[in-house]
Amino acid sequence: MNVLADLATPVVMGILLGGLYAVIALGLSLVFGVVKEINIAHGDLVILGSYFGYVAMTVLGIDPILSLIIGMPLLFGIGFAIQKYLLNRAFRISMDATLIIAFGISLILQNTYQLIWTPMARGLTTSYSLESFSAGPIHIPLVYLLDFLVAIVVMLVLREFLKRTYLGKAIRAAAQDRKTAHLMGINTDRVYAFTFAIAMALAAIAGVFLGLTFSFTPISGMSFLIIALGIVVLGGMGNILGTFVGGIAFGLAQTLGGYFLGVTAQMLVAYIMVLVVLAVTPRGIFGR
Amino acid sequence: MAVRRNMKVTLPRLRGVLTPLIAVTVVLALFPIIGVPRLWLLYLFLFFTYLAMANMWNLLAGYSGLVSLCPAAFVGLAGYTLAIGTWVGLPWYLGIIAGGIVAAAFAALISFPVFRMKGIYFAIGTLVLPEVLRFVFTIWAPVGEPVYGGGAGYTVKGVAEVSGAQVYWLALAIGVASIFLMRYILRSKLGSGLAAIRDNDSTAASCGINVFNLKLFSFVIAAFVTGIAGAIYYLYQGYIEPMSAFSVRWLVIIMLATVIGGEGTEEGPVVGTIVVVFLYFLLARYAEISLIIQGVILVGIMLLAPQGIMGSIRRTRIYRSLSQLATRR
Repeated sequence: MNVLADLATPVVMGILLGGLYAVIALGLSLVFGVVKEINIAHGDLVILGSYFGYVAMTVLGIDPILSLIIGMPLLFGIGFAIQKYLLNRAFRISMDATLIIAFGISLILQNTYQLIWTPMARGLTTSYSLESFSAGPIHIPLVYLLDFLVAIVVMLVLREFLKRTYLGKAIRAAAQDRKTAHLMGINTDRVYAFTFAIAMALAAIAGVFLGLTFSFTPISGMSFLIIALGIVVLGGMGNILGTFVGGIAFGLAQTLGGYFLGVTAQMLVAYIMVLVVLAVTPRGIFGR
Repeated sequence: MAVRRNMKVTLPRLRGVLTPLIAVTVVLALFPIIGVPRLWLLYLFLFFTYLAMANMWNLLAGYSGLVSLCPAAFVGLAGYTLAIGTWVGLPWYLGIIAGGIVAAAFAALISFPVFRMKGIYFAIGTLVLPEVLRFVFTIWAPVGEPVYGGGAGYTVKGVAEVSGAQVYWLALAIGVASIFLMRYILRSKLGSGLAAIRDNDSTAASCGINVFNLKLFSFVIAAFVTGIAGAIYYLYQGYIEPMSAFSVRWLVIIMLATVIGGEGTEEGPVVGTIVVVFLYFLLARYAEISLIIQGVILVGIMLLAPQGIMGSIRRTRIYRSLSQLATRR
C-alpha cells in the first residue's frame, strides 16, 4: 500500500509531463507527416521559444505565457521563411539535403543562443512556476498541470483546424498525396511553408511551457528532439492522438525511470525507450 | 558487354592512380624525419584522421544510402576502449585495434534494430546512439577513479612512450588505408551491390542481392575504420571524457568534409577534409561563432552545389569528354 502511494506521485507527474512532451512533439509530427521531412532543428526551435519567453520575462517584464501573443506569430514567420527559402528547395534535391540543411540550422541556432545568452542554464521562474498542490498522497507542481491542460487545448484546436478550415484540408490533402493535391490546384510549396510555420507556432508554445517546467541551456534542444522523435515514431507521424499517447508514455518512462533508477538515469531510460520503439515498431503503434 | 568494357576502362585508371598515391605517401611518411614543423604535422595528423572518418561516412551516406548520424558513437567507444585498455594493462597498439573491434561489434549489434528502419528512421535511430552512450559513460565508470570531467574521464596511460612521429604515422596509415579501402570496395561486388541498394533497394533485393548483409558489411567496415581513426585521435589527445567523446562535433566535421568535397564521389572526402582542416585553423580565432559559420557552409553548399566541389568539377569534366566524343564522331 505504501509503495502504491509512493508510486502515485511519479505516475501522475509522468502523465502530466506527457502533455508537455506531446506539445513539443506535435510540431515535429506535423512536419514529419505532411512534408515527410525530419526536422532535426526542431528541438533547437523549441528552445528558441523558451528563450523568447525568457527575454519577454526579463527584459520586457511580460508574463511568459502572455508573451506567446507575440512569440507565436514571430516563430510562425521564422518557420514560414525556413521552409519557403531553405527546405522547399532542399526537398527537390534529395532527402539527405533536407536532413543536412536542418542540421546546419540547428548548429547555427545553438551557437547563436550561446553568443547571446551564454551557456548558463536558464529557466522561466514566475510567481506560479514554483507553486504546487497536493491531493491526498500526491504532490504535483502546478506547472505540470498547466502543461497537461495546454496540451489538450492545443491538440483540440489543431484537430479542428485540420478538419474544418480550408488550409487544414489542403494540408491533409498534401500529406496524403502530394502530386494529386498539386493537380487539384493546391500550391503544395505554400502549404508546406504554412505547415512548417504552424509547427513553429506550436514550438513557441512548447518552448514557453518547457521553460516553465525545466531549466534549459543552448544545447538542450538535442535531448528534447530525441524524445520528440521517439514520440513521433511511437505515435505514428502526423497522428495527433498517437502523439498524445506517445507523449504520456515517454513522460511516464522518465518519471518512473527517475523513481526506480535515480535522477541521473531518467533521461537514459527515455533514450533507450526511443531505440526500443524504433526497433520493435518502426512505423509506430498507430502507424499505417 | 557494357559492363566488361567499363571494367577495362576503370582498371588502368586504378593503376594510374596507384603509383603517385604511393609516392605521396612515402614523402608524407618522411615528414617527421626531415624535421617538418610540428604544427604542420598536427594539421596533417588531423587531416588523416578526419579523412578516414569522412571516407567511411561517404561509404555509408554516399554509396549505401545510410545517412548515419552516429560516427561519434564509434569514435567515442574506440577512444574509451583504448583508454580503459591502457588502464588494465593492454599495450596501446592493441588498444587501437581493440577500439576498432569494439566499434565494429557495436555496429553489428545495433544493426539488427536500426536496419529495420529505412531512410529517415535509420537517421533517427543513429542520432540517439551517441547520446545514449554519453549517458552510459557519464554514469558508469568502468575502472579506477575518473580524472577528467564530471563522468568517466580517463587519461590514456603510457602516452609518454609514444612519440609524436609514431602517432603521425598511425594517422597517415589509417588515412591512406581508408582511400585504398574505398577504391577496393567500390570496385568489388560489394560496391556494385551497394550502388544497386542505394538506387532502389526492393529492385536490388529482387535481383538476388542480400540487402541486409551488404548494408551490414558496409556499416561494420565503416565502424571499424572510424573506430581506429578515433582511437588514434585519442592516443594523440591523451585523455578522454564523455562530453567531447560522444559530441555532435564529430558528426559536424565528418559531414562537413564529405558534403563540401562531394557526397558520393570518391575524391570528395579528400578535398573536403583539406577544406575542413583549413577551416579548423582559420576558425580557431573566431571560436565563438565557428558553429554558425560551419552551419552556414552546410546550408549554403547543400542549396547551391549539393554535389560538392568534386561533384561540380566532375560534372563539367564528364560534360567535356562527352562533348569531345560527340564532336569526334
